[in-house]
Amino acid sequence: MTGSIEVVYRGIFQKTLGQRITRGIVLAAVKEGRVGISFGRYGDSPERNGIPAKSFAVVADNEEDLQTYLSRYEPTDNDVTVAVDDTLCKGVESWAWYGLQPINKLTRSGGVVLTTSMQSPEELLEDCHRKDTEWSLAVLKGIASFSGLWVYKDDHTDVRVLGAIARLAPHVVKLESVEAAIRDEWNDELKVTSARKAYERVEARKVRPDEGNPERPYEFQLPKWWEMKEGLVIPGIPVQQDVEGWEGGYRPGRNPTFKKFATRTMRPVVDFEICTKCTLCWLQCPDSCFDVTPTGHYDANMEACCGCGVCEAVCPVENCITMVNESAFGDNASQFEMYEKDKDTYKSWLKGKIEDKATTDRTHGFQLRGKYEEEVQEIIREVTK
Amino acid sequence: MATELTVLPTQNLEAFKGVKKLPVEEYFTSGHRTCQGCESALVMKLMAKAAGPRTVILGSTGCMYVANTTYYSTSWVVPWMHTQLGSSGSAAVGTAAGLKALMRKNRIKQEPINVIAFCGDGGGADMGLSSISAALTYPEYNFLILMYDNESYANTDIQLSSMTPYGANTTFSPPGKARRILHKRWKKNMAGMLAAGHPECRYVATVDASYALEMMNRIRKALTIGGPTFIHSLDPCPKGWDYDPIQSHDLGELAVETGVWPLFEIEDGVLKFYGKSKSIAQGRKRKPVREYLLRQGRFAHFTDEDIDYFQKKIDLMWDRWLIPGAVCIEMGDDIRKQLTRAEQEVAAAEAKQ
Ligand SMILES: Cc1ncc(C[n+]2csc(CCOP(=O)(O)OP(=O)(O)O)c2C)c(N)n1
Ligand code: SF4
Ligand code: SF4
Ligand code: SF4
Repeated sequence: MTGSIEVVYRGIFQKTLGQRITRGIVLAAVKEGRVGISFGRYGDSPERNGIPAKSFAVVADNEEDLQTYLSRYEPTDNDVTVAVDDTLCKGVESWAWYGLQPINKLTRSGGVVLTTSMQSPEELLEDCHRKDTEWSLAVLKGIASFSGLWVYKDDHTDVRVLGAIARLAPHVVKLESVEAAIRDEWNDELKVTSARKAYERVEARKVRPDEGNPERPYEFQLPKWWEMKEGLVIPGIPVQQDVEGWEGGYRPGRNPTFKKFATRTMRPVVDFEICTKCTLCWLQCPDSCFDVTPTGHYDANMEACCGCGVCEAVCPVENCITMVNESAFGDNASQFEMYEKDKDTYKSWLKGKIEDKATTDRTHGFQLRGKYEEEVQEIIREVTK
Repeated sequence: MATELTVLPTQNLEAFKGVKKLPVEEYFTSGHRTCQGCESALVMKLMAKAAGPRTVILGSTGCMYVANTTYYSTSWVVPWMHTQLGSSGSAAVGTAAGLKALMRKNRIKQEPINVIAFCGDGGGADMGLSSISAALTYPEYNFLILMYDNESYANTDIQLSSMTPYGANTTFSPPGKARRILHKRWKKNMAGMLAAGHPECRYVATVDASYALEMMNRIRKALTIGGPTFIHSLDPCPKGWDYDPIQSHDLGELAVETGVWPLFEIEDGVLKFYGKSKSIAQGRKRKPVREYLLRQGRFAHFTDEDIDYFQKKIDLMWDRWLIPGAVCIEMGDDIRKQLTRAEQEVAAAEAKQ
């Protein structure tokens, strides 16, 4: 029987993690006398941090089945879709397609979406788009594992995901073969324990077609070749957008095709009351996210924000901009409009977001030498307990 | 018979007088596919903002082409054209010449149009160096070549370039057990080299987007002064340098504060340091390079010995070079003596008066 797994990860900082998982699946399948291949998604897509990318593993009983299965662009009926960052449950906007692809789009009917998260399945279902067949959602408790490109944060996320897959899709790989593969590959009993604990703990929850986020994912149709202008001319972007009720403010034109509705891991929230209108966030944002409001404030537009946190880093006013985990938000509405409408409601909304330390404490990348080692020890203690 | 050059007028782009006076318009806007915290994207944004609407931009292959203009999708507001990886120089001359010819033939309105060609460090300092050098010898055309330096071939997943710093981990220089440091070459000094070698080039500068206003004003000066000009920008790159994107701005500042990246401009052959580098040149203490290096994953394998070596090279540059960060030549004894003698003579003459 052929089985396929996709691992969806956020660009280059989770690339090694993605590869270790898909490679591990193939190594485990080989232990069962089967064959397999692990590969990255095809596309003219140099990886960027933040922007989603994919890695696949396909295993089969014999070469012929494997080859038959692989004679296609990419697996579209995966037994398990792994999201190694739970904010990907909001959807995937990668290089190779336009618009938003639901996280479960390439999960086969009856298949599983597995994500590492501190959220409950119910919370995650508010993000995952509806599917017209039944599927399952499984949550492996833990924060998203971000390490840098050159420095790998070995917090056992790789083997935990492998253990969980053995439980959720035993026809793809069995626990014993996963354990054997881990021993071979990493020669580390603690990693074997981690995989086994994940196997024991992970649970899938069935999701009916009427459950999940009912929104239609953002779509974009590319022009056909005969509709394009001669000489590969791409229309430029108009310099400004008019916004009703924003007279005296300014919203720059924005690329209508590629929006960052789901490419963020965090987003800024702004305390307009203590903002001194110094312009620094607006000036230093690499994504030109800030709309200038009629009152001269700066409103981070969620159509454009990639969640880098530079605005927080440059804001000279303490606690004026705070980066909050993307999972804490249900929509992309303007914070400024919410503030203008009802300042008190905004204040308590803001307070709720900022004071929840679980959602503001998140890193995505190498910060200081030594820091990872500390974090990793703590996480391993937690997951093997 | 002497030939006369016809040089078109340039736009008179006066320096911005403060962040509050900046125009709101963006000419490079949102919706590009760069990494979170990409400083090179910020360079594009600030460059376009400084140049204004009457500008044509040419982009060499690299992140700033691939991520900014993927299939039928762009973030450019002003006209932009893709040019080959090593050809920012020729593209700049060709476009400036083309515009000039069209104006002469009255095919388009006669007006000053900025021409900016950008390239990455791979496209500029390695592959395109000869074409940039050639371009800088054409005094009759107005254009700016901006090299955004993320210190690697970042788009194709971090191969080392001649701008990669000593010892950095790249796909071509992974540290191993037998050899910790695989990349032992020191970065070359593009701005200094190009200024020294191209007498017709009236403006060369280094910039850093963490100091946005100063950077934009350097762009405006280059475009206003006219002729062929060159700017070299150092861009922290979270992917290639391996750090949390929230630190991009800080790393840009640290590069200057540690003295790793001196900010200077050479206008009509006269050199000036500016910003923080000016006070460093006047004796202000530099931060230790350790602070800069240990925030980046590409140096995570460095031992104290490697850090000391790096520090020593930076010290040498500031203490002994003729022009720190630009001209890696020390003064010979006889020249030093000659200078001292000349100084003494001037002092003696002044004392007599
Ligand atoms: C002649 C040629 N060789 C190789 C390539 C493949 N290529 C595309 S982008 C790139 C890297 C360019 O590096 P750099 O100029 O430093 O820009 P960066 O990617 O760092 O922005 C390479 C090698 C190409 N497009 N053309
Ligand atoms: S986090 Fe801030 S600086 Fe970064 S893209 Fe979003 S608004 Fe811009
Ligand atoms: S940086 Fe902070 S204080 Fe300055 S305008 Fe932005 S939010 Fe306001
Ligand atoms: S690799 Fe570096 S230069 Fe390229 S998009 Fe990412 S941060 Fe920017």
